[in-house]
Amino acid sequence: MHVHPADLLEEKGIGKLPLSILVGNPNVGKSVIFGLLTRRYVTVSNYPGTTVEVASGHATLGKTRSLVIDTPGINNLVPMSEDEKVTRDILLDPRVRVVIQVADAKNLRRSLVVTFQLAEMSLPVVLALNMFDEAKSRGISIDADALSQLLGIQVIATVATQKRGIERLSRAAASPRVPSLHVRYADSIEEAVEKIEKFLPQTSISKRAVALMILSNDSTIEKQLTGFSRVHKEEISEIVRQLEKSYGEPLGYFINRTRISVIDRVLSQLMVTREQAASGWVARLGTLSMHRVWGLPFVALTLLLMYEFIGRFGAGTLVNLFEAKAFGQYINPFLTHLVDETIPYSFVRELLVGRYGVISMGFTYAFGIILPVVGTFFLAFGILEDSGYLPRLAIMTNRIFKSMGLSGKAVLPIVLGLGCGTMATLTARVMETRKERIIVTLLLALAVPCSAQLGVILGLLGGLSVSAALIWFGIVLGVMFMAGALASRVVPGKCSDFLLEIPPLRVPQLSNIVTKTGARIEWYLKEAVWLFIVGTLVLFFLDKVGGLKFLERVASPLVVRVLSLPSEATDAFIIGFLRRDYGAAGLYMLAKRGALDPIQIVVSLVTMTLFIPCFASFLMIVKERGLRVAGLMVAFIFPFAFLVGGVLNAILRRVHVL
Amino acid sequence: MEKERIEEMLELLWTLKEAGHEELSTVLEKSRDENAQEVMDVLRKEGLVESKNDKVTLTLDGERKARKIVRRYRLAEALLAQILELEDNEIMDSACKLEHILSPKVTESICTFLGHLPVCPHGKPIPRGDCCLRAETELRPYVTRLTDVEIGIDVSIAFINPMLHATLDRLAGLGIVPGSKMRLHQKSPSYVVQVGETTVALDEAIAKGIYVKRV
Repeated sequence: MHVHPADLLEEKGIGKLPLSILVGNPNVGKSVIFGLLTRRYVTVSNYPGTTVEVASGHATLGKTRSLVIDTPGINNLVPMSEDEKVTRDILLDPRVRVVIQVADAKNLRRSLVVTFQLAEMSLPVVLALNMFDEAKSRGISIDADALSQLLGIQVIATVATQKRGIERLSRAAASPRVPSLHVRYADSIEEAVEKIEKFLPQTSISKRAVALMILSNDSTIEKQLTGFSRVHKEEISEIVRQLEKSYGEPLGYFINRTRISVIDRVLSQLMVTREQAASGWVARLGTLSMHRVWGLPFVALTLLLMYEFIGRFGAGTLVNLFEAKAFGQYINPFLTHLVDETIPYSFVRELLVGRYGVISMGFTYAFGIILPVVGTFFLAFGILEDSGYLPRLAIMTNRIFKSMGLSGKAVLPIVLGLGCGTMATLTARVMETRKERIIVTLLLALAVPCSAQLGVILGLLGGLSVSAALIWFGIVLGVMFMAGALASRVVPGKCSDFLLEIPPLRVPQLSNIVTKTGARIEWYLKEAVWLFIVGTLVLFFLDKVGGLKFLERVASPLVVRVLSLPSEATDAFIIGFLRRDYGAAGLYMLAKRGALDPIQIVVSLVTMTLFIPCFASFLMIVKERGLRVAGLMVAFIFPFAFLVGGVLNAILRRVHVL
Repeated sequence: MEKERIEEMLELLWTLKEAGHEELSTVLEKSRDENAQEVMDVLRKEGLVESKNDKVTLTLDGERKARKIVRRYRLAEALLAQILELEDNEIMDSACKLEHILSPKVTESICTFLGHLPVCPHGKPIPRGDCCLRAETELRPYVTRLTDVEIGIDVSIAFINPMLHATLDRLAGLGIVPGSKMRLHQKSPSYVVQVGETTVALDEAIAKGIYVKRV
């Protein structure tokens, strides 16, 4: 798909403006500069076809109005991740008038890798050396004028948090220059570049840059080129193949190393570093939080706070307020009344406000229960993200996830799964390889109970005994590890190596958190709400055509014989698949009536936890992983959940622990 | 007589002595030479071994020669196993050939490169060379894996083992390429290194592939 970023904004009639693109490595203060340049009319949206957030807004740079786009952080313009691909694609837009590169003055070496690539693309660039004060206080002094001369572009020292240098940056961006710097690579590479250039179609960036990207094994650039014939493509692949044969290491790596060695030479002329005993207490806290032992209290505290905030406040207080009060007492009665008064057809009435109605069930579920849960989660997540703690949490949990064929990054979707499995399935995208995404999805579907369930489960177990709670917890955790370990062997594909940049710990910025949480809630409303509505519709029609009754008849013997549960429990299981909290609540009712003994409670809770969370999450699995994978998962999970429940039942009936 | 046959026999005598065998019958039995007795006669004539009753022992001269061969063989083994990570059977075959052709200068370079490794991959001692003795007083190991580096010491990257394409590129994106200076902050629960002002966490698997030297 060939989409231009400004297409997002076409509807607002500002898509014709020239583009000013902010690029830079992660955590360099790009967003702060973006905020200072634009001030008004900021939109945050997902880049088409991705979960990558791109903010845009207009600004007057010098005297020209333009649309400023804040791109995701990158380390390399040969994309290694979805983020980097989005940024690279934006730079290919012919409307680009200036690239404002924001560099962390402390990490100039890394930033220049990007500058060099922009220079190769022949794009007009202005370089902002941000956090100039921090660099100075760490004993790093940079000769900005010398750098400016070497690169042939304007280089401006800024301290974005204090708004220093922003005015100059804005003026400089009005008359940008194309960098004059030119890196010469090894002869064999230069020859190949020359040959490839001949076969390339016209592009908005230089052909040399495209050729180097292709040599660097960039498989995504071809799709961005229009008018590229098959014959030429094959000619080019042949050139690349020939050259690759004569090199012992990947070409892209070799090219990058050449860049870095030139950069090191450049820096040795204009940057001086005096060793300085840095680090205040925040830095020390940052180090402590990834320590083998001292890091553990941080993990415990974080998880506890998240549980209190999301599990108790979000899923408890807020859900109560939204679902029971707002929807239960005001919105639903009002709408029911309205529908009853205005719509004469009973079928439509039921469809909207009946037992399984789109409004009475679907909307209430999506907005009354899930929204407060994911809302509080996004807020907590935003704070963690902005503080720089998130990667540290990944370090601490890396070992645990390693045994499941995953890396520490998996902690994000798994923790989110405790809030809402459907949303968590969507965020499995943060994992790097397909294999890891499948494993995360499987674990979420199988062994991570969502907050809607968790409340009821904890309530029931709390009323029983400590050993009952331990049995439930032990089995679910055991299944999770076992399934993970098994899946990491069975699922084909590669696991990624754990490699993560650790930003310094800092006090979270309120404005950042508010923007990000807002953008994510908007994303939830657009991407997930319809799933809950579809789920409700399926339930409604199943009920109408007698499908529910049929399923109940089929499943009932299984529930009664294998799990030794009363046949009414079947209802709870089936409804539970269509709407998770209903299932758990159904069991809760049965238990309260005294229809279940302790063994039955534990067995039914274990079985229900292991089931696919709910229909919405099933749809999400289909959407994200495809029908085949989703089908395989269902085929595994349903019998497996019954099997575990059945075995547990048999054991508990023999050994008398409950 | 070919040099190789003599060298092989000297090596065998050294290895058997390590295992506590000096009987001529065992030596002849273990030798893979077509005519072991013939080689033995040449060794005796050149004053490299002495025999008494059924026992053969290396003379001082023979021992010096044998030590060099065994050293070359085991260093070659270590190089192939630890740095090039080849399969065991390949290591044996190649090391057997390399031991005859490595010049003193190359041997010394390999030894230095491996940080004057004391034992071969099979745990047998590598006879010390001049460079090792010098190193003990003058130098520290030249190149080590990042996993063997002490915490808090400044090192520079000598080279990075070829690994996943994407991993190499991502390392480069973070400024981790040969020549970069870095410092190891911690090894557990993950490796954490600092390159310039960038802090990076990585797996042991990646850390193992990064070879560094002290600065």
